[in-house]
Amino acid sequence: MRRSVWIGALAALVMVLAFGPASASAQTLIYAQSGLPVTLDSAAAQDGNSLRPAYQITETLVGFEPGTTNLAPALAVRWEANDTSTVWTFYLREGVRFHDGTPFNAEAVKFNFDRWNDPDHPYRGEGKHFAGFEYVFGGFKGNNVLKEIEVVDEYTVRFHLTDSVGFFPAMVAAIYLQIQSPTAVMADPDRYGTPEVGSVGTGPFKFEEWVIGDRVVLRRNDDYWGEKAKVEQVVFRGIPEPTSRLAELRAGAAHIAVELSPEDYPVIQRDPNLTPVLQDGLNIGYVAIHQGHKPLDDPRVRRAIAMAIDKEAIVEAFYAGLGSPADQHVPPAMWGRSEKITDIPYDPEGARRLLAEAGYPNGFETEFWYMPVSRPYFPAPQPIAEAIASYLADVGIRVRLQTEDWGTYLSDYLEGKFPMYMLGWSPDYPDPDNYLFTFFGPRAPDALGWNDPVTQDLLIRARTAPDVAERAALYAQVQERVHETVAQIPFAHNNPLHATRRGVEGWLPSPLGASEPLQLVSVP
Amino acid sequence: MSAFILRRLIGLIPVLLGMSLLVFTLVRLIPGDPAILMLGERATPAAIERLQAQLNLDKPLFLNLAAFQHSGRVGDLVDSQFFAFLGSILRGDLGQSIFTRVDVATELAARFPATFELAVGGILVALLIGVPAGVVAAMRKNSLADVVVTSASLFGVAMPIFWLGMLLIYIFAVHLGWLPPSGRLSPGVSVPRITGFLILDSLLQGQWAAAWDAIRHLILPALALGTIPTATVARMTRGAMLEVLGQDYVRTARAKGLSTLRVTWRHALKNAMLPIITVVGLSFGSLLTGAILTETIFNWPGMGKWIYDAIGARDYPIVQGGTLFIAAIYVVINTLVDVSYAFFDPRIRYG
Repeated sequence: MRRSVWIGALAALVMVLAFGPASASAQTLIYAQSGLPVTLDSAAAQDGNSLRPAYQITETLVGFEPGTTNLAPALAVRWEANDTSTVWTFYLREGVRFHDGTPFNAEAVKFNFDRWNDPDHPYRGEGKHFAGFEYVFGGFKGNNVLKEIEVVDEYTVRFHLTDSVGFFPAMVAAIYLQIQSPTAVMADPDRYGTPEVGSVGTGPFKFEEWVIGDRVVLRRNDDYWGEKAKVEQVVFRGIPEPTSRLAELRAGAAHIAVELSPEDYPVIQRDPNLTPVLQDGLNIGYVAIHQGHKPLDDPRVRRAIAMAIDKEAIVEAFYAGLGSPADQHVPPAMWGRSEKITDIPYDPEGARRLLAEAGYPNGFETEFWYMPVSRPYFPAPQPIAEAIASYLADVGIRVRLQTEDWGTYLSDYLEGKFPMYMLGWSPDYPDPDNYLFTFFGPRAPDALGWNDPVTQDLLIRARTAPDVAERAALYAQVQERVHETVAQIPFAHNNPLHATRRGVEGWLPSPLGASEPLQLVSVP
Repeated sequence: MSAFILRRLIGLIPVLLGMSLLVFTLVRLIPGDPAILMLGERATPAAIERLQAQLNLDKPLFLNLAAFQHSGRVGDLVDSQFFAFLGSILRGDLGQSIFTRVDVATELAARFPATFELAVGGILVALLIGVPAGVVAAMRKNSLADVVVTSASLFGVAMPIFWLGMLLIYIFAVHLGWLPPSGRLSPGVSVPRITGFLILDSLLQGQWAAAWDAIRHLILPALALGTIPTATVARMTRGAMLEVLGQDYVRTARAKGLSTLRVTWRHALKNAMLPIITVVGLSFGSLLTGAILTETIFNWPGMGKWIYDAIGARDYPIVQGGTLFIAAIYVVINTLVDVSYAFFDPRIRYG
């Protein structure tokens, strides 16, 4: 009896060795991201893991040239504004159908915008909160820039705004605003976007299956209006650990793995089966200084803090050669930067002098809070915070390093609890407004203890100025003002690291994170 | 016996009620709330307030005194988060995830089978390696084999699972390419759901390739998860066997001229089973609650990581529903262990 057990075990081992890893058919693209979607109802989503798969199924009115932040026609073929940019007319693509066979037209566009805009809309879906929409348009119906959405004819839709907004098409290009099939939404608004129901749009892929906790499977839409997908299927897998995503890629169980850990860059470069993909990051990590805490209200003290930190050395140490130190908030890959800004140089001697001048020859004590989670803009918050703390200690500023749970952190920084803290941003839509209005607009008094009417006025004017050059100049001024007052220290832009198997072609990751045209990708 | 089981199941009701109160309170003692996490870096005070109202998080936790004082109706007193939660569990509704809007029950039904399969795998590893190793160590006390088993089991208990898991993946998946690195089924393979237990479902439908694929995915995580139980079981078996081997009836059996093999396996091991069953039952119970580390490394879609993440996200319905489910499982497993005592030791009777 004992012998048969051994033979059985041996047979099992032989079988394990004999069968190689099961490989999916060549027509399937396997995409390893850091998690499965939260929902496929794009407007209810906020994270790239939801929005990336959703973007393959449902589409926005305004899209991007692949791999860039330049606007391009998508479901709308062209758009125009009146003289004051208060009325925007969008001309829709004709003859497009949703995956359920219903027509895409101006009524469908109006239905979607109304559903997002009106908190009392009958088909909003229980418990759904369209935070991305709220953020882009500055609120919901009655409190935001949208006055009325008018169906002009079958393929023309007109947005009447309460104010002039020169960059309205960029707002409409926000990835949350994907047009869903009204019929599908109305069938089950509460469960629309969940694993059981999925989503229905006009995109290059159709929803096929979502295995809870495991994967989302999409199938090629053979009736797509644009270039049809090169692969038959896309499988999105959610793998939280970056090292595990890389292991999957190296084992050949994935074709694309995104957001890998910078320390693995050399491993990827060495592996002949992999191709590293670097991308210009649009994110910004910053060190905030709250002026409600003494002595941080003194601009000399804030400048001394900026002078004490050797950003370049820290970025060099913790971003594995993929990051770049930031001299202002809008990253180099975006317009609206100031040419006049030269970064405050690393100068510990000067920092000590400034502190002495401000009345702190022996420095002072304060708290420095770091994020409990890593984000692309701060890949390793704790070690980075420790490095910053040691540079500060060098000039006599003794900081107590603190952190707390992420949920609490996000509410506490807005209540001014942190004298100094780390945070950052990845944009929703490709416009400087999305950075600068966020940091230095109405939130600045809470988050930074900085209530500067000049900056606020510049930001409002930049929102409504019709001409891009004029807007760019205003945003440059905002950043110069922030730079002069050291209201916040821009720290680093990180360039995310992705990798593909060799032979994967046509993949153009979006600088914005999730709007990728996967229909262009082919697998070996 | 059936009266005993019935009593234990009735005892489940107060346990669950107590658990719901405890979990409800504990999860709300953690600062921060789902509305803030949902809005992330974009949270503004106005948006947070609006979302809290929408999620009913603005209601009082236990008793709505304000509404009661205002209206004087007792019904308004219980217009609170806890009574809403209690009411829905009494109706058999565990609620929906705040973030994904998926029914907690649906998600449990999808994730419990994954956890169960992994737990069975881990326990099988523990039994198949731990019991024989313990027996061998006991039979040859103080021999080289004994030293190897006892020191290996010490090593096994102390082994960081995270490290072991990464090592297994690196060696068997990345380097040798024998086994898949993670997941439960290869992309491109799918099994129509009957019970949710993948291996069982694919066997039932005669999909041998899919069953094989599922088993291959189970091997590495089961090894990693089984390490600690294997070590515990080996030590427990060794101890219990040593005690039993010194008993009179073993000497009698040997004196009768029975083979060593028969004495060991039939006479000694069966009587040494009681403590082993206890250890295995308890380990199985804890494996069934989900193995957060193993699930994370091997990207296994079980309950552990899910509930753990829900705590971080303050997804109250998942934490509450998931914990209640786990409490129920614990009670059931403990009952089964008690029942199995009677099977292995006829002197034990429940009435």
